[in-house]
Amino acid sequence: MNQSTIQKRKAAMQKDRPRLSAIALIYTREMRDQLRDRRTLFTIAVLPMLLYPMVGMLLLQIAQFTRQQPISVCVIGAEHVSGESTNDIRHAFSSPLLIVNANSDEASATEPAVPQRSKPLGVSDSRSYRFPDELWDSSFNVEVVAYNASELARAGDLKTRAQDWVRDQIFDCVVCIDTPLGLGDVNIFNELKATDNIASIGVYYNVGSDQSMVAKDRMVSILNHWRGTWVRSRLSDVGVELTLLDPFQIKDCDIAPERTREAAFWSKLLPFIMLVWAMTGAFYPAIDLVAGEKERGTLETLLCSPALRGEIVWGKLGAVMSFSMMTAILNASSMLVTSSFVFKQIGIGPAGSSMGAPPLIPMLWLLVALVPLSALFSALALAVAAMARSSKEGQYYLMPLMMVTLPLVLLPMLPGTTLNLGTSLIPVTGMFLLVRSLVEGQHLEALTFLPMVAVVTTACLCLATRWAKRQFESEAVLFGDGDQWELGAWMRHLWRDRQRAATPTVAYGCGALILVSLFFGKLAVTEMPDSFNGIAKLVFMPQFGLILAPTLLMATMMTTSLRTSLRLTLVNWRVWSLVCILAVMLHPLYMMLAGWITEMYPLSSAAIEAMRPFGEHIAGAPWLSVILLMAVVPAICEELAFRGFIFGGLVRNNSPVRAVLVTAFMFGISHGVLQQSISATFMGVLLGWIALRTGSVLPGILIHFSNNALSVSVNRIAELNLPGLQNLISVDAVTGAPAYHPIWTGCALFVSIACLVGLYRVTSNIDVLESNDALADRMVPKERVTDPSLKQYA
Amino acid sequence: MIHVQHLTKTYEDLRRGRFRAVDHVSFTVRPGEIFGLLGPNGAGKTTVLRILSTVLRPTSGIATIDGYDVAHEPAEVRRRIGFVSNNTAIYDRMTAWEMVEYFGRLHGMSTTSLNSRLEKLFDQLRMHEFRDVPGGKMSTGMRQKVSIARALVHDPPVLIFDEATLGLDVLVARNLLGVIRDLRNAGKCLIFSTHIMSEVERLCDRIAIMHQGRILDSGTLGELTARHQQTDFEELFFTLLSEHENDTHTMDSNERELAK
Repeated sequence: MNQSTIQKRKAAMQKDRPRLSAIALIYTREMRDQLRDRRTLFTIAVLPMLLYPMVGMLLLQIAQFTRQQPISVCVIGAEHVSGESTNDIRHAFSSPLLIVNANSDEASATEPAVPQRSKPLGVSDSRSYRFPDELWDSSFNVEVVAYNASELARAGDLKTRAQDWVRDQIFDCVVCIDTPLGLGDVNIFNELKATDNIASIGVYYNVGSDQSMVAKDRMVSILNHWRGTWVRSRLSDVGVELTLLDPFQIKDCDIAPERTREAAFWSKLLPFIMLVWAMTGAFYPAIDLVAGEKERGTLETLLCSPALRGEIVWGKLGAVMSFSMMTAILNASSMLVTSSFVFKQIGIGPAGSSMGAPPLIPMLWLLVALVPLSALFSALALAVAAMARSSKEGQYYLMPLMMVTLPLVLLPMLPGTTLNLGTSLIPVTGMFLLVRSLVEGQHLEALTFLPMVAVVTTACLCLATRWAKRQFESEAVLFGDGDQWELGAWMRHLWRDRQRAATPTVAYGCGALILVSLFFGKLAVTEMPDSFNGIAKLVFMPQFGLILAPTLLMATMMTTSLRTSLRLTLVNWRVWSLVCILAVMLHPLYMMLAGWITEMYPLSSAAIEAMRPFGEHIAGAPWLSVILLMAVVPAICEELAFRGFIFGGLVRNNSPVRAVLVTAFMFGISHGVLQQSISATFMGVLLGWIALRTGSVLPGILIHFSNNALSVSVNRIAELNLPGLQNLISVDAVTGAPAYHPIWTGCALFVSIACLVGLYRVTSNIDVLESNDALADRMVPKERVTDPSLKQYA
Repeated sequence: MIHVQHLTKTYEDLRRGRFRAVDHVSFTVRPGEIFGLLGPNGAGKTTVLRILSTVLRPTSGIATIDGYDVAHEPAEVRRRIGFVSNNTAIYDRMTAWEMVEYFGRLHGMSTTSLNSRLEKLFDQLRMHEFRDVPGGKMSTGMRQKVSIARALVHDPPVLIFDEATLGLDVLVARNLLGVIRDLRNAGKCLIFSTHIMSEVERLCDRIAIMHQGRILDSGTLGELTARHQQTDFEELFFTLLSEHENDTHTMDSNERELAK
């Protein structure tokens, strides 16, 4: 190769590479454009600055209201509880519930307690009462009106009277004591005790009114206090040592360092607020920068400029990300400032301690974590916004996007979710937990899981940006026609324009149909069967009815060639021989993977208990029927559906990655149990790759079959005690579960990789143009295309 | 300069199924020539021009501009074309100057050459009075001028105008046609689509009449009138269209009879 060809090749390679200068140019323009938009500025900068102070003021107001608002309480039956009316009884109350205001006349003159309330009929006495100071915190403002029950009872039933008063909001709370409590009188008390009648006090309140609830809470606390003092005085009367009541004190000792204590609250709340705002902050600029430009026609202007699609995507992504981060930071800081101010004012905080501002330095970790997460959200938002034809349509996509990402943000807020291997592998959640442990100062723990979180986040980021880029390269997305979708026309279109294989839409539809019907099928099963026949029914029904039947139905109805749409292509003997070796060798690896997964996400003991009869029945059944049930049927049904029909549809339009990943996820979800789903997803990726390389569903069926068959028969093989096999399969002494020898697993790994490489090489010279997928994509001109719109002239 | 051979573009359409918007279209445009693409609405003119501007990819067929294939070297093609269409709007929140400057920068022009080019363009198109007006406040004529300036900023050898006079008043449209004529005289290769026959008659060196995705006939005005024995260009256009429709009808009925 001479110099010029090398140079040419280099130039050709660099031609499609995004240039940094162009990205910067587009980025600057988009930023300037957004900053010139008043609406964007308002939602991003002005709104957070106003929102939180306003919410804070409101909170302050409410707090002050609940503290200072006077509540009015009526006590019916004052004669039973106030000290003076029971004067004649010896040794009345140690402390009465109500005492008469000493300066009763003055009080009523200067401050008419309840001016609007008319005096009920037949009540002579309207003295002003108050609760004794020792029973309540005198900072609360309580107005008390007390009536004698005997006097009030002359005008009607006390209970209905009390209810009416509360309902008509004459009083916030009515305390009704209609019978003597006998608290001061031992005789009455003993009498009541003898008849098993415990004295009761009715507290009437209205749950619909906030003020009434506040009044009720205070009244209950006053009554409890009063009961306490009474119990104490009684006990001391009979000579019980009062210290007996408080044998010990509970003393709180929070050993968390000052920093963690403050961080604990903020490290939970702040990331949540920031992530939600990062998402919202990404979405609106993304809609404006893609769907809005599409609507205004400026996107096509940009597309026919020399800017590469990659440069456009990166430039827009940068702008969206900047806004996402700005929104998150502004909101978080505005909230921080406001809330620390408000909390100080109210004097409450987490665990009752007064809470200052969160420690600043660890909060910087949050900013570091915000970068990849807002990049992720921005890429997702950009890709989703590209699907919309107008800004209005774009708004509709916010909710689904939120619904997908919010659980990932909410999961770490659940109590007991800590950073471990399992959670660190969940996108967003892992990052969130990592930040929390950094904020709390647990650097070592954070460092341990940093690689996992980094890998997962990077992978997600790559996929999201790739998706966004694909969206910008797709004509259907950018220039999708805006004509009305109509069910009838669409059905006719599906029938009339059947193709050799499924279209991506049909494939997605088939997958969704299978998954939804499996979900409801699972709900329909209420109890585990208790015989092998029952289990067989439980496996056969969904496999044939919910997986195979929809697939075959769709393949016959919506495609012209069953063989192409199900990818029933024969493969050559070299592929077969490699696949046969793989089929056996992959099983130890699968076992190892499943082991890891159960270690990371352990099965609950309840689930293990529920699965036990299932396993026992399987173990007791004849081997051949077990193989048929657990290996042959699932292998054929699931493979035809996932690696056959759905894969064939998704792989079209030159999107192998989509086909492999989506079918793997669908395959995983269809397994139901989380642990099985994860291992099935990994298996699905491998099976998908093989299906992609070989262009056929048959190798997948073989591998799936042998994997399932080996899984159900490893126990039996181990029990055979064949000479030499002990070296390969060892049986765990405790659980009785068979496992492969590590050396054998190592060998299997080596051989499997060799086989996969071999498969890659063998299939690399298969004629791409003649492959199934290319055939399905190729247009088959059967007849001259005529425009049906001409028919109107006929 | 522009070579188009058997260009075909099909769409999946809900009602019509797989539908050919452009059906085996072939033509050539040389430098210093205005090629007119004439046809009723929905004839496929915009699709052809969108393919030439690399915004859409052809389903089959070849189109090259200045030797570069639109399907395989879109970036090189885009460097050599200026595309004005009523689908290519201007930014509402950018002034005329900023808008044209931005696209000049995207073409990788240096600041000095860009500034002199901008001054020259703004002179030529008489745009100085609204150079600092944001796009959202411009009239249709101003917007169109900005679009043209945007397409001309890098002085491309090939210019594509898709219904560029649509919605313009007579004065501005006349002005625009003058600009296009000047460009032809400067040796540019121009392709111009419209459904207004008088523009084609006055402006174009060669004409192709498109209908239902196909080019029915092409040639200079003289060639076309001579071939179809029509003196009036408008009559010629209608005869061609109705002939084509009759043809397709007879073909349809022939097929139907054959099927029977």
